Amino acid sequence: MPSIPITALQPGMVAAQDVATPEGRVLLRREGVVEPWHIQLFAGLNIAAVEVAEAGDHTRRLEEAAAYVLEFFAFVNPDSRPMIELYTYVAELVATRLEKGWQLPSLAERLAENVEHLADVFPMEIVEPRRIVAHESELASFPDTYRKLREEIDSPRASVQSLSALVSQDISLSAKLLKLVNSPLYGYPEPVESIERAISLVGTKELSTLALGVTAIDYFQGIPPELVDMRAFWRHSIFCGILAKILAQSLGEEQVERFFIAGLLHDVGRLILFKKMPYASTEALLYARTNSVPIVEAERTTFEFTHTDVSTHLLDQWKFPEHLSNLINFHHDPLAAPAPKLAAIIHAADVFANAVQIAGGSLYLLPPFNDEAWNLLQFPKDMVRRIMAEFEIQGEQIVQAIFN
Amino acid sequence: MALTEMLSLRKNVAITDAEFKQLRDFIYSKSGIWVDDKRKYLFENRFASRLSALGLRTFGDYIKLLTLDPKRDQELRHVFELVTTNETSFFRDTKQLDGVKANILVPLLAAQRKQNQLELRIWCAGCSSGEEPYTLSIMLHEILGAELSRWRILITAIDLSPAMVAKCKEGVYLDYAFKTTPEAIKAKYFTKTPAGHRILPSVARLVRFEAMNLNDAAALKRIPKSHLVFCRNVIIYFDDAMKINVINAFYDNILPGGHLVLGHSESMHRISRVFQPKVLSGSMAYQKA
Repeated sequence: MPSIPITALQPGMVAAQDVATPEGRVLLRREGVVEPWHIQLFAGLNIAAVEVAEAGDHTRRLEEAAAYVLEFFAFVNPDSRPMIELYTYVAELVATRLEKGWQLPSLAERLAENVEHLADVFPMEIVEPRRIVAHESELASFPDTYRKLREEIDSPRASVQSLSALVSQDISLSAKLLKLVNSPLYGYPEPVESIERAISLVGTKELSTLALGVTAIDYFQGIPPELVDMRAFWRHSIFCGILAKILAQSLGEEQVERFFIAGLLHDVGRLILFKKMPYASTEALLYARTNSVPIVEAERTTFEFTHTDVSTHLLDQWKFPEHLSNLINFHHDPLAAPAPKLAAIIHAADVFANAVQIAGGSLYLLPPFNDEAWNLLQFPKDMVRRIMAEFEIQGEQIVQAIFN
Repeated sequence: MALTEMLSLRKNVAITDAEFKQLRDFIYSKSGIWVDDKRKYLFENRFASRLSALGLRTFGDYIKLLTLDPKRDQELRHVFELVTTNETSFFRDTKQLDGVKANILVPLLAAQRKQNQLELRIWCAGCSSGEEPYTLSIMLHEILGAELSRWRILITAIDLSPAMVAKCKEGVYLDYAFKTTPEAIKAKYFTKTPAGHRILPSVARLVRFEAMNLNDAAALKRIPKSHLVFCRNVIIYFDDAMKINVINAFYDNILPGGHLVLGHSESMHRISRVFQPKVLSGSMAYQKA
C-alpha cells in the first residue's frame, strides 16, 4: 500500500484509506477512485500524500490468466461471440484460482510421461476403427444387466416393481443410480432411498438411460494410468454431461438424461483407442501438445481417423439406442448428424467442458467450435455466461456423487 | 467476481481466406509442408508476432515480403521455425529401435564384415534437434564397441531449419531430452556441463549435419547412398503428393537391400508400394528389393 506524494497522484488510482483533512473531514472514501478534481482539492487543502491501493493484484492476475488461456483458444474463431464469452469466463476462473494459490502448470508437467513400455495391438499400417472394435468385442461383451433391463422395459408385463427387482440384483449399479438420483442432477428436495422410488420419480425410460451410462463407465477398467489420468478423463466427461443437460433444459428439451449420458460417454471411442493403441495414442497426444492442435485433430493426423469413428462401431456393436449414439458420434461434426440441433448440444458442451478444465490444469487446446451449429440453438447473447453460472452450482457436487 | 467487459480473443489482424491460401501455398512450395484449412486461426495467431516484429499491418504485406523482398530468404527461416515443431528425445520409441537393432543393424554389420567392407552410411531425414542421429551413433558404439575404430561410418542428418541444425551441432541437451533414455546410456555418452548434458565428441564424430529441404530434389541427390534411412515423424506434415516425392527420393538413395524406417504413426501402404513392408517386433520397416 504505497503512499503517493500529491505531486505524483494520478487520476484513476484507488484510495487505500479515507483521505481526510486534519480536522477529520473526509474528502475521498477508501476504495474511491481518484478524479482530476480530487487532486486539485487535495493540493488546495495541503494534503501532502495519499495512500493508494496496489495497482490491482486481481487485474494483474487476470492479465496473466488471459494470456495463458488465450493459447487454448487458438483453434476457434477469435470473432465468435460465444467463444469470446467463454474465453472471458475461463480467464476469470483461472485468475480466481491463481488468487487462491494455484500455479499454472509448469513446463515439466506439460511434457509427456515415458510410455515406452506400452505396445499397440495393431501396427499402424493396418489399424482401422472396425478392426479395433472387433478386437475389443472378442475379448469382452457389454455387461448383461443393460440388455435385461431393456427387455424388461419393452415387455408388456413391466412394472416399477419388476424393474426395481432387476436393477437391485446389481448392487453396484443400484448404488450408483441412487447417488445420481440424489445428486443436484435432479435436485429432489427429499432423499430418494430406494430404487423403486427412484424409478417412479425419474421414469422407466430415463432410468434405463442412466443405467446404460453407468454400466458403460464400469466397463472401462485397466487403462494404463501413465497414459491418461482416468479421473481427469471422467471428470471432463461428467462436466460435458452436466453442461449438455443444462443446455438441453434451457432449450426445453424433454428427457434430459439422454444428454447427460451422451455427454458422459461422448469420448468412449478414445478409451478404446487408449486400450488398444496406447503407444499410438501417446504419439497423438504428444503431437497435439507440440503442434498446438486439439486432440481430435492430432488423431486425424496420426491415425487418419478419430475417436468418433471408433465410437460409431463400438456403440453399434453394443446395440446402443440410435438417438443416443448419434449424439455421441457426431459431437465433433454436429451439422452432419441426423438431428443437428441435438448434436450441437453435445458439441457445445464438450467445448465448454474442455474450457473449464483449463483451470484444472488441462494441457490440450479446445476442439474446433462450430458457430453455425451453435446458432441452431438460437440462444440469447449472454447465454454462455448463464450456462456456466448454473454449471458452477451443480458441477462439483455431481462429480462427487459419481466418484465417491 | 464478474467482469462486465468482455476480453478480446483477437490479438492481431485477421488473415483473409485469400491471404491464408497464398501463405499456405507459399509454405507448401518451399517445404512440402501442408497446412490444413482448419489451422487458419492457429496460423493467424502464430504469424502475428512476425508481422509486428517486421512492422507490417496485413498478411498481404507479409506475403509480399516473403515473395519479393531481397531479404526474403532470411524471413523464410522464421517461417520454417513457425511451421515445424520438434518433439523428440534420445531413444524415442525404444521398441522400434530394438527392432531395428536386432533385425536390421546387426545383420547388416555382419554382412558388411563378411564382405570385408567395414563401412556404413545412414541418412537421418528431418533430424530436428539431433537426438535421433546421436541415438543411432550411440547404438553403433554399443554394438561395435572397440571394433568401431576400424569402421567408416557416416550418419548424414538434415533438417529444414538452420536454427535446428545449429542446435544439433552444439550437442547440448536438457533433462527433457532424456525422458526415454536409460540412465546408464546418459552417463556413458554425455558429460555434464553447466549448460546441460554434452554429447561425447566420439559420438558426434560419426554425424554430419546439414540444413536441407526435403523439397529440394537436387540437394537430396548429393546425399551419399545409404544402407539405412531414418525419417521419423516428418512425412506426417506432408500431403500425399509430397509424401510420394520424398519416399521416391529415399528409394533412389537407398542401396539394394537397404531399409527405410518411418515414425510410429506413419504408414506407407496407402500412398506408395515401391518398398516391401517388413514387420519387426512391435514396428515396421520398409526394404528396397
